[in-house]
Amino acid sequence: MKQNFQNAIIATVLSFVLLSLTIGGLIQVEGIETTVVARPWYVVIGCTIVFIIQLFRDQLVFVFKGFGNVLKTLVRAEQIAEHAIQLKGSDRFNPLFYLTVLICLSVYPFIVSDKLWIGMFIDIYIYILLALGLNIVVGYAGLLNLGYIAFYAVGAYTYGILNHFYDFSFWLALPLSGMTAALAGIILGFPVLRLRGDYLAIVTLGFGQVLVILLRNLGSITGGPDGIGSIDRPTMFGIEFSRRAKEGGVPFHEFFGLEYNSIIKDFFFYFLALALVIFTIYVISRLVKMPIGRSWEALREDETACKSLGINSTSVKLSAFAISSFFAGLAGCFFAAKQRHISPESFEFIESVIVLAIVVMGGMGSTIGIILAAIFVAVLKDYSQDLQEYRMLIFSLILIVMMIWRPRGLFPATRPFIKLQNRQKSQECGC
Amino acid sequence: MLAKFTKSIIAAAMFTFAFVPSSFSADTIKIAIVGPITGPVAQYGKMQMDGASMAVDQINSKGGVNGKKLEAVLLDDVCQPKQAVAVANKVVSRGISFVVGHLCSGSTQPASDIYDEEGVLMITPASTSPEITKRGFEMLFRTIGLDSQQGDVAAKFIIDEIKPKRVAIIHDKQQYGQGLAEVVKKQLNASNVKVVLFEGVTKGSNDFSALISKIKGLDVDFIYYGGYHPELGLILRQARERGLKSRFMGPEGVGNKDISAIAGEASEGLLVTLPADFTTDPANAGLVKAFDDKKLDSSGPFVMPSYAAVQIIADTIAKSKSEDPYTVAKLMKKSTYQTPIGTVAFQKNGDLKAFKFIVYNWHADGTKTPAK
Amino acid sequence: MQLLEQILNGITLGSIYALIAIGYTMVYGVIGMINFAHGEVYMVGAFVGLIVMTILSSIGASLVPVYLIAMLLIAILVSSVLGWSIERVAYRPLRGKHRLIPLISAIGMSFFLQNFMQLSQGPRPFAVKQLIPGSFTVSESFSISYMQILIPVVTLVFMVLFTYFISKTKLGVACRATEQDRRMANLLGINTDTIISVIFVIGASLAAVAGVLVSLYYGTVRDTMGFIIGIKAFTAAVLGGIGSIPGAMLGGFVLGFTESFASAYIGGDYKDIVSFVLLLLILLVLPSGLLGKAEIEKV
Repeated sequence: MKQNFQNAIIATVLSFVLLSLTIGGLIQVEGIETTVVARPWYVVIGCTIVFIIQLFRDQLVFVFKGFGNVLKTLVRAEQIAEHAIQLKGSDRFNPLFYLTVLICLSVYPFIVSDKLWIGMFIDIYIYILLALGLNIVVGYAGLLNLGYIAFYAVGAYTYGILNHFYDFSFWLALPLSGMTAALAGIILGFPVLRLRGDYLAIVTLGFGQVLVILLRNLGSITGGPDGIGSIDRPTMFGIEFSRRAKEGGVPFHEFFGLEYNSIIKDFFFYFLALALVIFTIYVISRLVKMPIGRSWEALREDETACKSLGINSTSVKLSAFAISSFFAGLAGCFFAAKQRHISPESFEFIESVIVLAIVVMGGMGSTIGIILAAIFVAVLKDYSQDLQEYRMLIFSLILIVMMIWRPRGLFPATRPFIKLQNRQKSQECGC
Repeated sequence: MLAKFTKSIIAAAMFTFAFVPSSFSADTIKIAIVGPITGPVAQYGKMQMDGASMAVDQINSKGGVNGKKLEAVLLDDVCQPKQAVAVANKVVSRGISFVVGHLCSGSTQPASDIYDEEGVLMITPASTSPEITKRGFEMLFRTIGLDSQQGDVAAKFIIDEIKPKRVAIIHDKQQYGQGLAEVVKKQLNASNVKVVLFEGVTKGSNDFSALISKIKGLDVDFIYYGGYHPELGLILRQARERGLKSRFMGPEGVGNKDISAIAGEASEGLLVTLPADFTTDPANAGLVKAFDDKKLDSSGPFVMPSYAAVQIIADTIAKSKSEDPYTVAKLMKKSTYQTPIGTVAFQKNGDLKAFKFIVYNWHADGTKTPAK
Repeated sequence: MQLLEQILNGITLGSIYALIAIGYTMVYGVIGMINFAHGEVYMVGAFVGLIVMTILSSIGASLVPVYLIAMLLIAILVSSVLGWSIERVAYRPLRGKHRLIPLISAIGMSFFLQNFMQLSQGPRPFAVKQLIPGSFTVSESFSISYMQILIPVVTLVFMVLFTYFISKTKLGVACRATEQDRRMANLLGINTDTIISVIFVIGASLAAVAGVLVSLYYGTVRDTMGFIIGIKAFTAAVLGGIGSIPGAMLGGFVLGFTESFASAYIGGDYKDIVSFVLLLLILLVLPSGLLGKAEIEKV
């Protein structure tokens, strides 16, 4: 206790120095005069918080540890339950459960029937898509990609440019966007994947920056800082969702003889996003069970061992890069179609960090964890009016706390594991 | 795992429903005022918010419109296209049908796409890019002039008064700044004034030393800047520090006291094209006093146009006795209004029939005087 | 004449990069992590400088050296405390973990500081008054502003102080020993935890000096100013050979020149791209940089 008290005093003195000349003085500009207004209360409050935290440090650590243990038990219980289901002979795929979830999600938009709340779920779906894609690289393959949002941008601009200049439709551009993004992933990955982890992270970050600079400067193609506007919405079998259809098209409401209501369009986007998410989850869940997915994880655990087993580490890493970029491309294309306007600001580094925060928080490699984290982050980011200003502060704190407390996330992925008494199952841990 | 997942879904759903907007009150007429409340050009947003809020207050104190009060909903788009789209969607989902905004042309353009489709009437008091009204939207108006008018005034002044030999034109690559820069360049070329440099700078950057050295190397005697004040302020300051003595000129996006705070002495003698100063109009004396009483500055270029925008919406709603934006828009095109920015009538595309820009001399203490 | 001016621009810019790059290279040399939050320390230093300047001018100080010394010293003080706290809070608990874990924590720290300053002062640029206006005119088309003389001079002073510290003082020798072999230094009775803290404090002080100088030179301070310059200074450190202190100084100047010439002869828009491409090329072709020693990855 005495030690803690001493520490607390030192920490308080230091935070006083830190706070008094940063938050303690507000810079105010009146006309051409600049003045500093003292805000002593901010400093006092800040110092008090630091003092209390330091004084009760042991207790806090205890609480965090306890919470961590609860989570650990939960995860363990989940693993055992899952194992039990498997033992009972039913496959991991439980149709009834997934059907229930699907039905719930399908009736949701009709129940709320409000643009704001449908829009929130569409945003959540986009974050899920992005986070699942990034999870392939970060969670499974263990490569830190800090420029992930660049591939999202590639997807979005692919559709934007194809639509703006060549009138490509959404459905044609969707696979193309994915493939262009994957190609970008391969082009970037080819030279840089030899680099060690933290260098790779910085280079991918640099790539993301370069792409944004190019988007800003290649005005004749990308529209510069203003971006590309009036992008076409997707159609459903040729039926449009706008008030007035383009030349030769039929708007949805006229086709079905309804009064125009713009919410129909939101329903459509909702289901489109849901379909994309389901597709992504399905593909990824298959991939990780295939040899390719197994070798991603093996490579993450021990690169040297994998090399000596004859795994071509470059091509395995490249495949992870390309596939994860592919999903970012799909998400980007959908984003462009939904927003109808894309500009470089949507693809800044901060967005990469947000997606990374989702992956880190959800548990690297864990799909369920990531979905929950994506919901949390999307709600916090855009739909919490009171916390708006503090959201980035909260994200950054989450990143730090998670690294110290649970670096593998709240819900770490369930690894395929061998039970000794069940020997024939041991092939499952394929490397 | 099953139970946990189901539980979390239920929790998420409950969480969602808990936040569903509680009530829609129909006893007020909501007008969204959208502009940059935060960010590097928030000063212009303040002008817009001050002007529009003043109009709402004054109309309400006279009993509102058709027995209903006006309600100003202030929203922040940070002058980014991305945020503008997000805010426009918010306006639509809150069921607001009248918007005064946005401010930056780059934001107005994408937002107006959404408003047009969703049937929201929009008056921008500040966006001057001609592209905005070119698309034939029926419910898009503006209470300010166009870049083509402003650029013409600027180019004419440069050609007739300054008579430079070699001109450099710099812009910030955005719709507003680049658009203006191109208009000026075209006019100067047409009168055989030599434009030796036409270059973009990146919004938000702060090191212009290489650009300035380049301009010095080109022996330029006049510089036009298309863009906003944070960048021009730094360019001016760094240029003067480096001994570049050429005169600068900028559009109304630089006409703000902050430019003097950034550039200090270097802002003395800067030429700025601004809408005519409405505060000196004797007809506005009462209004200017109302601003002064609230300790608000009424001299900014967007204060009166914003006031006028709200007033026009309110007048037309009163006249048409309808809150349907389509009806209001139709009537708006046929009507004439007496506003603080003079007599207002709209063209078919929503532009003003007449708007006047004047060239001012900017001073280091943040004041301005008409240049002749 | 334009060439001469661009060289001068390169020296000024290079001084700034060199000051910041030292912090990166020392931290990397000792604990092998990229201190992503270093650019933010520079930003905080600049803000502190501006606040001190404003307070001084409101109490009526008029001597330029008073301003300069007070701004530098107080910014160094606050940044040192900040650098020390960052290491203590976000990095020390993670020592010995996988390489990416402290990196993610550092990214979190960087965004935390950026948003903290944004919330406390507002998300917009703040003008910094001209302290030393004017320039030294050589000829009609060639002049050197006083700031462009001041920045390299101040940088030089701090470099000399720093070199003296690292090569002559006992603490400096301990720093170098820790950098070369942490475990061995520990066995020899050096408290390596203290030394790591000292390294963070020194790096932060130099970044604060850079922050104050830049705010006076360019004339604005804002919350986002640390991010790009941080990455560029890291590029400079890699360019010079990460872990090597003379390398960081050299790398800073090389990068400064490259950028000035790139923006003069390729176009200002692309100068950032040039530095990123440079970073990529060095990492691929010459991973140990100009003055670094080749690193053997042990298995």
